[in-house]
Amino acid sequence: MLRLAGTHYIFSLDKDVNGTSSWKSVLEIFTDSDEECLKSIENNTEECLKFLLLDTRNTNCLRTLVNKARENARGVQDLITKEVWEEVNQMYHFVNQPELQQKINSYHSLEVIEPLIKHTVMYAGITDITMPRGTGWCFMNLGKYIERCLQTIAFTEKQLEITNFSEADTNDLLQWKYLLFSLSGYELHVKTYRSSNHNFNVLHQVLINENFTRSIMYSLQRIEHYLNRIIGNEINEERAALLRDFGRLFSKVRFMELDSLTKDTVPVFFEDIKVGLVEFNQRVVQHFFSYS
Amino acid sequence: MVPQGLLDLYAGPQGFWDEMREGSDFRDLYRNVVHALKQLDVHSLQQKEKLASELFMNQGITFTVYNDDAGIERIFPFDIIPRILSGDEWKIIEDGLKQRLKALNLFLKDIYSSQSIIQDGIIPAELIASCPHYMREVAGIQVPHDIFIHISGIDLIRGDNGIFYVLEDNLRTPSGVSYMLENREITKRLFPELVAASRVRRVSNYPLLLHEILLSLSPAQISNPQVVLLTPGIYNSAYYEHTFLARQMGIALVEGRDLVVDNHKVYMKTTQGLEQVHVIYRRVDDDYLDPLIFKPDSALGVPGLMAAYRKGTVAIVNAVGNGVADDKAIYAFVPAMIKYYLNEEPLLPNVETYEMSNPDARQYVFDNLERMVIKRTNQSGGYGMVMGNSVTEKDWIKARKEIEADPRSFIAQPIIRLSTAPCFIDGKFEGRHVDLRPYALCGPSGIQIVPGGLTRVALKKGSLIVNSSQGGGSKDTWVID
Repeated sequence: MLRLAGTHYIFSLDKDVNGTSSWKSVLEIFTDSDEECLKSIENNTEECLKFLLLDTRNTNCLRTLVNKARENARGVQDLITKEVWEEVNQMYHFVNQPELQQKINSYHSLEVIEPLIKHTVMYAGITDITMPRGTGWCFMNLGKYIERCLQTIAFTEKQLEITNFSEADTNDLLQWKYLLFSLSGYELHVKTYRSSNHNFNVLHQVLINENFTRSIMYSLQRIEHYLNRIIGNEINEERAALLRDFGRLFSKVRFMELDSLTKDTVPVFFEDIKVGLVEFNQRVVQHFFSYS
Repeated sequence: MVPQGLLDLYAGPQGFWDEMREGSDFRDLYRNVVHALKQLDVHSLQQKEKLASELFMNQGITFTVYNDDAGIERIFPFDIIPRILSGDEWKIIEDGLKQRLKALNLFLKDIYSSQSIIQDGIIPAELIASCPHYMREVAGIQVPHDIFIHISGIDLIRGDNGIFYVLEDNLRTPSGVSYMLENREITKRLFPELVAASRVRRVSNYPLLLHEILLSLSPAQISNPQVVLLTPGIYNSAYYEHTFLARQMGIALVEGRDLVVDNHKVYMKTTQGLEQVHVIYRRVDDDYLDPLIFKPDSALGVPGLMAAYRKGTVAIVNAVGNGVADDKAIYAFVPAMIKYYLNEEPLLPNVETYEMSNPDARQYVFDNLERMVIKRTNQSGGYGMVMGNSVTEKDWIKARKEIEADPRSFIAQPIIRLSTAPCFIDGKFEGRHVDLRPYALCGPSGIQIVPGGLTRVALKKGSLIVNSSQGGGSKDTWVID
């Protein structure tokens, strides 16, 4: 969310960049507020950023997410390292500073967004360095990659909506630059793809490029890896069903024919994967964390 | 809040066209900028200045100065106040540059083939023959789409009458475009609300446009041509720019030693073996490109490259031999070229230029030295210039001897009263002289010029030399409608 918000903010300062002056698409991805509420703020950068980052009336705002993450971390302090806890705690205090609101109001949003991105990167680095590779680590990563996969789908869907996946504009990489920057995939894209069929190339990258750490394929591979580690040799009927369900979902991507995706079939495909992932996530939660 | 009159105190140096001030008023174009600056106190402006320096430093946006004992890597000084051009002004510049580039490109095609411009008496043959950048070795080579000048940075100045003049043509390896792009990104950080409110035309698509042009020049009709950027290496003053552009375009950054020619084809050495290269965006001067043809001791080039180029298996950008068209002595003939090739009047005027090889002109320059600047025809970066109004007697005696010994290597121009723009220096606004280098890209589908360019500033008070090697800095350049 931070990266997307930052990218959107920077792009919105440029003239002639279609589709980025309004925050509608970003709001639709990260909030569940009604259309009227979104409409009232979608063209006001400060209001949107406040809503996305700090306004706790928005149940998905960053402040709420960090607060919840901190509560989670407090509850599992015995399973996470001191360094991880401290980093989460620091981020919590940063995001709850009263002056953040003023910084966003005064058009200094990047002074808020960039340190937050740094905190998230620090968090990733600290967990990688300090966390033991036990079950806790596997669950952390399982959740991370499920969410990453869903976000990649959500960003791509929104961009497809904006560009309408127009084949007439297939030669224009600019329309995809926004998505690729939001997914930190622009450099990889220009290094990897040399042909001018940008629609196809971008879809290839976000769907099946195994070197792209935010691709759906990469995320699913990581999910498979951590799921296998969690289940290990303890396979009962329920766990076998979980593996089977995930395998079915993964196969849809693994054996998908990219050429067959068109303007009409791409949204259906994404929806299918999204629904499958959400259901898989629910099953994981039910199986491993249900008290009932 | 605002110390009264911090900006109002800025009047701009007297007798010059000021980009922001028009008499006692501010130009309408600067309305938003003036409003924003009036909301800021000195401390806030200094904070912004500091932030800009930190951003440049953290991102490694530095350049190297030769012969500097204090250290070679520096931040390119950046002034936080943008320079603004109107859409109408930009249209004049754009049309004028396109016209000029068309003519210069036709000149290069002509001069390396039939040489009709010489036969028709428009340009003297001896001028071409004596040009050190005229490369006989490339005569007759067919370049893709007949385009010689793919990337250019033509320097413009605005005189005290408000008119833009062409100061010089840079058609070989013009640098500075990365600063143009980074300046905009930094300005967005410093003045986000101002950038958004001003609806500044975008420059960020430059690398994409350049990449598309490079791909389109591939001699092989394949879907994924290999394009590389050839750099002299990390000690080159523009190395940052080379890495920046390579990264932005996703192409490999190579040095001469990374390439090899076999059977008239150029290959890049990779960990997976040799890969054929189809397009080379070179940032290495002609003389160093191929030790078999040019300087035999060049370690920067690729032996056999020119043979592959002649064979047509690789495209080189810009074309080899372009230096003949941006030679300062040839510059004086560009208006004639425009008439000759296009049958049009030049849209952008030249600065009056005196060929020092002409005895009458030479004498005239010597007699009026006080208001002349003398330049070496084969130098750039502000090196080898004699400013007539400030040269010491000792230096002049030496320079005059050099001119008389080799007059072909010098031209003279009247000292132009370059326009000024406000810069934030030592806690106040002061006028400094500026020029403008717009970057034009030429491909099979025509010439495209990203709106803006690099405004270079002579940061030393009263100085007219804007080159970074001579204490110059830069500003973000906005085109707004």
